Amino acid sequence: MLRSVRRLSVGGYANRALLLILAFVTFFPIYNLVVLSLTGPKYIAAADGLSIYPKGPTLDTYGALLSTPKVLRGLANSVFITAAGVFVNMTLTTMAAYALSRTRLPGKRVFMVFIIITMIFEGGLIPDYLLMRKLHLLNNYLSVILYKAVNAYYLVIMIRFFEEVPISLIEAARIDGLSEARTLLSVVLPVSKAGVASVSLFYTVFHWNEYFRAMVYLTDPNKWPLQVILRQLIVGSDKASFLGALSYLKYETGAVQIDMKALKAGVIILAILPILMLYPILLKYFAKGALSGAVKE
Amino acid sequence: MTGRSPSLLVRDARRSIPLYLMLLPALVYLAIFAYVPIWGARLAFMDFSFTGNYTWVGLKHFKTLFSSPIFGSVLLNTVIISGMKIFINFPMPIILALMLAEVRGQKLKKTVQSVIYLPHFLSWVVIAGIFINLLSLNEGAINKILTLLGMKSFPFLTNRTSIRWVFVFSEMWRSIGWDSLLYVAAIIRIDPEVYEAAVIDGAGTFRRIWSITLPAIMPTMVTIFILNLGFFMDAGFDQVFNLMNDAVMSSVDILDTYVYRMGLQNGEFSYATAAGLFKGVIGLILIFGTHVTSKKITGKGVW
Repeated sequence: MLRSVRRLSVGGYANRALLLILAFVTFFPIYNLVVLSLTGPKYIAAADGLSIYPKGPTLDTYGALLSTPKVLRGLANSVFITAAGVFVNMTLTTMAAYALSRTRLPGKRVFMVFIIITMIFEGGLIPDYLLMRKLHLLNNYLSVILYKAVNAYYLVIMIRFFEEVPISLIEAARIDGLSEARTLLSVVLPVSKAGVASVSLFYTVFHWNEYFRAMVYLTDPNKWPLQVILRQLIVGSDKASFLGALSYLKYETGAVQIDMKALKAGVIILAILPILMLYPILLKYFAKGALSGAVKE
Repeated sequence: MTGRSPSLLVRDARRSIPLYLMLLPALVYLAIFAYVPIWGARLAFMDFSFTGNYTWVGLKHFKTLFSSPIFGSVLLNTVIISGMKIFINFPMPIILALMLAEVRGQKLKKTVQSVIYLPHFLSWVVIAGIFINLLSLNEGAINKILTLLGMKSFPFLTNRTSIRWVFVFSEMWRSIGWDSLLYVAAIIRIDPEVYEAAVIDGAGTFRRIWSITLPAIMPTMVTIFILNLGFFMDAGFDQVFNLMNDAVMSSVDILDTYVYRMGLQNGEFSYATAAGLFKGVIGLILIFGTHVTSKKITGKGVW
């Protein structure tokens, strides 16, 4: 008995140690980029992938990034596309989910099939692109804002959340003379806060991370979101073309010198920052949202 | 929904007009932005022209496709990369969930869990940036460790064999935590009394996992595995697209990157659509195949 208890606890420690190592391996590569982005100019040449704290810490890298028009525009574009995109997403998704959560809606099955087919069939990149061209949406923010404006998966999750709202609540509101739209806005949405929060977070992360369609549809680099700017820098471009000739001169010869390594690390962290800030809320709702969609088939 | 008489149905439908109006925008959106491109995929059987007057050419583009030597290697790359990722990464979240279930202390468990979900929310552009930093030849953490151990640094990202392993491990890094979530949830649903009884009967940790936990999460495992197979032809466009470079092109070029290059870079719209449609049709066969298999094995379809 004693032996088995001891053996168990050794296994238990090994198990805990392995889990901690996994957490460390997940966390460290991101943390290392934070370190590199904060390391001072004197030490940056010696800093590497194993650096665990920033020597001669400075915010100059972020200062340089945030005074680079390209990065600022990228940030502004990302915020705009994400905000507008999520607004469209949520308007279309909540209205449709509200209608489809009603059991007595005639034709519900047909509509569901119509929606679910879009989960399975896809036109593909080229037909998508040619449609945008035909609609004259190329190089228009709308092409990216409207990309996947209705996501069938998220719509289904939203329906599940709305189905939990007691029908008596909706009927009471309708008897009080509220229109369907009003009922959705002032009765259903407030009681499905968790659902609305998780689905809008799904959409927010989706828009914030989207780079490919922006790259393909938006021909004017001034309209690019941060992810495209980041990709351009990482996949290969030099500091001069990235910062622009003027700032390059300033940072190369002036008092403040910025290293390419720190710069790359800084842009990556900038692109992650909003996700990191949302992460606590994400953890709270995402896990719930993802599971509720999966568990209740 | 069935048992209603026609007159009641008409009454319900009339009352539901406001609901239909609320549903309309989403349906119109899908009709334009999802169904029109599906219909547009018939371009694969036509010759594209900028005037919009397409001419039917039958299977011409498919014939060119199947006789192209690049297409063969692209198809092979897709199968190899996708296969490596699915078969190596599939057991990982299961093992992780089993390990998490063995931890009694809630604090450690919560800490580990809240860290390992993070990469799921990062874009592949960001993850590519992270891995390029991690694997850089002179300064990356991995090569630093190798040199500390007296070994030579290795060009992981520009070697045609190792780049595929970079795909496997970066995918693992990104999704092991998140993918374990479904298994963790399945394990939580197991009745604790079954475990207690097993412990009283003298069953050790591995015995409990083997005889209680694994059978209990088997349906989840099967569902996820066949779902993965259904998406076999997607070898991970964003991952490959952001980590590929000229040195490794011949071993990482997959169907989706090929479609992008042929269509949007070379302007061969019809040919690229044909390649995309080929991928789509194989994907469809796989999805319907797995749906049927899933229904047979677990009694639950994919949708």
